[in-house]
Amino acid sequence: MSWFTDRHFFLLAVVLYGLSTVYSVFLWRKGFRRDDHVNYFIILAGVALHTLAMTKRGLTFHSCPVNNLYEATTFLLWALGLACLVYSLLPRFKFLCAFTAPVLFTVGIFALMPSLDPPHGPKPDFSNWLRSLHAATILQSYGAFGLAAAAAGMFLMQQHDLKFHKLRAMLSLLPSIQRLELITLRLVLAGFVLFTIGLVTGQQLPRPEGKPYLSDPKVIWSALLWLVYLELIVARMFFGRSTRRFTIGVVIAFAFLLLTFGITNYYSGLHHQ
Amino acid sequence: MSVVVIGLSHRTSPVELRERFAFADSKIPGALQSLRGSGIAGEAVILSTCNRVEIYAATTLAPQAAFAELKKFLLRWGETSGEPSASSPSPQRGEGRGEEVKAVSKLNPLIPSLSPFGWGEGVQFVGDEFYFFAEPQSLHHLFKVAGGLDSMVLGETEILGQIKTAYALAHQHKHTGARLNKIFQRAFNVAKHIRTHTNIQRGSVSVASVAVELADKIFSSLAGREVLVIGAGETGEKVARALLSRGAKSIIIANRSLERAQALAAELNGRAVPFDDWAGEFEKIDIVISSTSAPHHILDRPRLEPLMKARRQRPLLLIDIAVPRDIDPAVNGLENVYLYNIDDLQSIAADCLKQRTEEIARCEQIIAEKAGPLLETGEIQM
Repeated sequence: MSWFTDRHFFLLAVVLYGLSTVYSVFLWRKGFRRDDHVNYFIILAGVALHTLAMTKRGLTFHSCPVNNLYEATTFLLWALGLACLVYSLLPRFKFLCAFTAPVLFTVGIFALMPSLDPPHGPKPDFSNWLRSLHAATILQSYGAFGLAAAAAGMFLMQQHDLKFHKLRAMLSLLPSIQRLELITLRLVLAGFVLFTIGLVTGQQLPRPEGKPYLSDPKVIWSALLWLVYLELIVARMFFGRSTRRFTIGVVIAFAFLLLTFGITNYYSGLHHQ
Repeated sequence: MSVVVIGLSHRTSPVELRERFAFADSKIPGALQSLRGSGIAGEAVILSTCNRVEIYAATTLAPQAAFAELKKFLLRWGETSGEPSASSPSPQRGEGRGEEVKAVSKLNPLIPSLSPFGWGEGVQFVGDEFYFFAEPQSLHHLFKVAGGLDSMVLGETEILGQIKTAYALAHQHKHTGARLNKIFQRAFNVAKHIRTHTNIQRGSVSVASVAVELADKIFSSLAGREVLVIGAGETGEKVARALLSRGAKSIIIANRSLERAQALAAELNGRAVPFDDWAGEFEKIDIVISSTSAPHHILDRPRLEPLMKARRQRPLLLIDIAVPRDIDPAVNGLENVYLYNIDDLQSIAADCLKQRTEEIARCEQIIAEKAGPLLETGEIQM
């Protein structure tokens, strides 16, 4: 089946993410009442196909597949999907998949745009371990931020229901809001550490001739993102910012990341060698 | 052998009557031996809780004869057991917690009104209080009881544990055989299925348990939580007890009468503080239960705002069960403050009960599906 490329596997994965999104809408409308495993297994199947797609492409180039925007985005989604599967194993966190699926689906559709995956020229040089570490940590940090945004979304929904005395708050199987807040903070911290490592390793990479570093859109964007998450963490941990504002900030920061990631990557000279 | 059941429950008789027929655990093996020895039953299980007394018997007698013999047996038992004693089942052994019972009996339209015969101090017994079922209704009844569909607190799960204990006791003393073993195992299986596939037990149906569940939805764990009770009223005490039973660390009681506060604190293993000092405790506490008879708000937004800052915005659950209300509703607008008054709690309890009631049809369907062949033929397809 040579015609069946890694993109086809990824397409199937996105279809499953879409299915999970539709199913999540039903779960949401039913108030997350039953300890549902169906969504978990749909995402699991999606991540399995996703892994296959990435492995296939990685084997083609004998390197970590993060050479263009398509590959970077699929790596990001893969990290997010995998982290979601792991965190969903925690008690009462099964519904995390319902909050993550829409992100996996919408960003997956975006990644499938053909212009994001131009044919590779000469085989990219990924023998440099530092470059692989840079790419992997940065994308995993995005995954952690995405999952933090999903947990923050769960928090905001549950908090709203409790504030306004909705019966759904009593009947749903979502975790307590204090637990959701803790998980959100931990995920943001983990993402921030990975992001920092990624930025530091990126700074150490050899730069191509004639490509400016500090004025590169992706570098500026990354620095801005790092400051945004730093502000969120510091304000929450040391200045007593309310949980609601913190979680709204986490959702907005990730939305900003998703909406601007593609654009900055596209205009970054450093990331289009 | 066919399986029959005789019994009386909260639906047919008041507690004054049920307690006369109650079996203490220690006396059940002897009663079972006597049942089998007299030839009434080949196998038997006695279920005795504060809401029901039932004998499940596998017998070779015709249903009418079995009913007459079992009734005679129970009446003899009622006469000889006499007045209720310490050996009678305690309220804690009832189906559902004691505090739930009152709230639900007011709300549950399924519970018929009791006491039509003037049962009071001199308990009047007319004989109609017993119900009797032969197969297949007897099996259907067991499945309903095990699934909590016949309980005073609809859908409660404590009864399943009580049936398991009753069965284990009979089994241990070899008073069950192939027939009852199969039927009870199937009943446990059906009850488990009902519990996992319906919402019959979801949500709380009393003020105290709603308060506990709310705390559970807000705090990662109730262990280590400090509770402040302002006003030592009966409902406040019940809520405090419910929170303690779920692991709350300690109770602080503030009451206008310090003596009353101290007495309650001693009972709940807590600490009493003078009424005017309760605000000083806010830095530590996580849950407030207020039930004073003050004619005005004792806690409002301007007073709570600085207290929340001192608490570093940790979540605070406020349960206001006083009428008129003790806490200004405007405080619910503050970050991390969750205020519920008595109407909110009762409304949640009523909604949960309504939900449970709506689940009855699904439970009946599960019973029909899972126990269908058994109910039709009396045989279990294993």
